[in-house]
Parts: sequence; structure tokens; C-alpha cells
Amino acid sequence: MNYKAVIIGGSAGSFQVVTRILNSLPKDFPLPIMLCLHRLKHVRSGFVEALSLKSSIPVEEPFDKDSMKPGKAYLAPANYHMYVELANRIALSTEDTVNHSRPSIDLSFITAANAYRDKLIGIILSGANKDGALGLKKVRDNGGVAIVQDPNECEVKTMTQSALQLTSVDYVYTTDQIINYLQKLR
Amino acid sequence: MAELGIVDIREIIGVIKNVYQYDFSQHALTSFKQRLERLMRIQAIGSADGLIKKLKEDQGYFDTFLHEMSVPSTEMFRDPSLWRWLREEYFPQNIDKSPGKYKIWLPACTSGGELYSLAIVLAELGLIDKVQIIATYMSEKSLELIRSGVYDLKKIEVSQENYKRFNGTRDLPVYYKPGKDNVIRDTSLIESVEFRKVNLNFDNMPQNVKLILFRNTLIYYNPTRQETVLQYMYRALSVSGHLVLGIREKISGLLSARDFEFMNEAESVYRKKI
Repeated sequence: MNYKAVIIGGSAGSFQVVTRILNSLPKDFPLPIMLCLHRLKHVRSGFVEALSLKSSIPVEEPFDKDSMKPGKAYLAPANYHMYVELANRIALSTEDTVNHSRPSIDLSFITAANAYRDKLIGIILSGANKDGALGLKKVRDNGGVAIVQDPNECEVKTMTQSALQLTSVDYVYTTDQIINYLQKLR
Repeated sequence: MAELGIVDIREIIGVIKNVYQYDFSQHALTSFKQRLERLMRIQAIGSADGLIKKLKEDQGYFDTFLHEMSVPSTEMFRDPSLWRWLREEYFPQNIDKSPGKYKIWLPACTSGGELYSLAIVLAELGLIDKVQIIATYMSEKSLELIRSGVYDLKKIEVSQENYKRFNGTRDLPVYYKPGKDNVIRDTSLIESVEFRKVNLNFDNMPQNVKLILFRNTLIYYNPTRQETVLQYMYRALSVSGHLVLGIREKISGLLSARDFEFMNEAESVYRKKI
């Protein structure tokens, strides 16, 4: 296996896509998946339960300094940024919002790119602001794989288009193609 | 703006340890790096060497450094359900029973979001005269800003939403006045608060504390320092004293877990075990 982690960022219109991806993964998916999705600050519960309903792998909201394990998905908790810390651990932060967002997709992607370098797969999905563009650039600059959901398929195109404007990417994929790509990781 | 490498960060930490005897080597690296880069950006310091020079040559700068390195609380009344629980259950059940003043400690009081929220809850309950609040932090400048009432305008909107969810008895704007590009909070709320400067080891910490509000600071430490600091908290607490941590902070993986038990798991409130 050439990779150590997958990180997915999304906002408006990404929930269905993430659900489809999680539902289609093999149970023994070989990598941890970090999910940084914009969400309401004050709603603490419900989101992880909704994502878990049909997911083939466990989805959890991590506590600070939890270790990431292959075959598990980690959803950034409400009103925290989610970073990658040394030794595969998650670190949470209450730093200021970035692009009006906490969790910030940029910060999650940048810290993951610093930790995993060319062993990271970063995916930007549908969304309504430019958060994630800078982060995906960092993934790409550090030699990781940069994937953007096909804007034509996105419910809201702003996030994917901002990413495509800022950085070159490896693939522009539909949801089906993203699923196909992830299923082939062995 | 250049990014800091691990070697740069280790060097900066080394200089601070040598010159000021503050050891940041057990802080969580990712957050610490990010905070350093932010500080260098806003103070237009172009390189690690530039920062190191400043730290070595200007001792007066260190307090500003500590101020800028602290992560301010995100907003007032963060997690409104905790504040509702404090108002409806915790304070009424605990403060009245307590002989003498009920001692409450905020160990890392960085921007006063927690402090003013606490003071408002207690004022609305009519219990503010029955408590003794001690607010500590490493930087004189941080404490001075809190005393002056100045607060970030950006945080007011979310704070107001939180206050509504908390079902406060008034409107949040009665507690502050608009300033130029900030707001000025009503400092009469914190008139009786005792402010103390402490170092990284909480050298000057209070004793016999009934309640410690320490939310979202452990996240900036590595597990070794989390353990150390939890032991400071343990020592500061009175028998069966209470400790509030952030919602996504947990101690179950640490040795200190044996010293605390849940009082309210949903809101991350612990009780010191006897």
C-alpha cells in the first residue's frame, strides 16, 4: 500500500456524496478516512449517526489525541478544527475560524499533508465556499493525490471550482469514479 | 511567509527554555507550529532566526509572545447546554450549601469568554457574591485585556446565539457596549475576580478549589503534559471538587483517569475521587 490516509472535505451538497462513498467501501478498507465537513456549530449530535446508518466502516467523532486506525472514518467534531498530530494521532483545536469555518477543511488538509506527504489522498466535494482549495494545493504540492468531484455533478460548485482554480489536480471524478478509485486501493 | 520546520520549532522551544525557563516541548506540535506561524505573520517576523533574536534580546517581548501564543476562547457561552446545566442544577445545588465562599478557578483564562459567561450566569442567579473566582494565565497582557473588557466583535454574533440557546434571563447586549472595532464588556461583572499570573507549571495556583473550568486547553498539550496538568488540577481541587473539560477532551486513556469520575458525562464534568 502506497498510502497512509484519505481525507475528504465538503460542505453544502456533500452529505449525499459522502454517504454514498461510505456505503460503498469494502469493510476492510485499508486506510483511515478523515472527514472534514462543514456543519452547524451548536448541533453536537446526529451527524455521525446519520453518516453511520449504512456506512460499511465505523464512523466516529474523535476525541483529542485519538489514534487513527485503518478502516475507520473520523468526522471532525462540531466547533473544533481537526488536525493530524505526530504518530497518527488526531489533535483538535479551537483556533479562530478560517473561511468562516470551524472545522476548516484547509487546516485539516494542510496538517494531513504535512504529516503524510505523498502518502495522502485528498478529495474535495460539493460545497458553497472556497475552504479546501488551499488545503488541496498543499496535498498536491507535497506529492499526494488530489481529487476533485466533477463540478458538473456538484449540487454547489463553488468549492470544487475554487480548488480547480488554485491548483492542478490528479483527477476530476464523478462520485461513481471516486468510489471506484477508493475500492481499488489495496 | 516561510513555513517552520520541526528543527526551527525545536530551536525556538530550546531558546525559550534557556532564557525564560518555560518548557513548551510538551505542547502539541501541530497547534504550536500553527500558533507560531500566526504570531510571525501578524508581527511581520520573516524567519525563525528573526523570532529567536527577538526572544533573546528583548526580555520585555516575552509577555507579548505568551499572549499571542494563547488560543482565545472561541466565543461566550460555548456549548450552551453546559451553561444551562450549571445554572439549573449545578450552582443552585452546590453553592448555597457551601460554607464560606465557593471557590472557582479558571486556570487558562486567555480572552475571558469563559470568565464573563460564568460571571453572567452567577449574576443572573444572584449568586455572584457567594463565589470567589480566580482567573490565571501566563501573560500579564492577556489578563490586562480581560480586565479592560475588550472583546472581539467577530465573536459577538455567535455569542448572542449561544446566549439565546442558554435561555438567559436578559439580552446579551446589556452586558457590553459597542467600541470602535470591538465591544467593551461590562467590567463590573468581574469586579471581585482575582487575577493571577502563573507560569507553565501553575506555580501560583489556588488551593481548595470547588470548581475548575478548564475547557479546551488540554488539547494543546501532548499526553505527557496532559497527565502532569491533570495532576495539578487534582491537587488544587478540594475533596470531591469538580473539573470541567472540553466536550471532545477525554482522560480515559491517561493514568489520571483513576483520580476522577464522571459527574456529567455529556458535558464532560468530572468529580475528584476521594
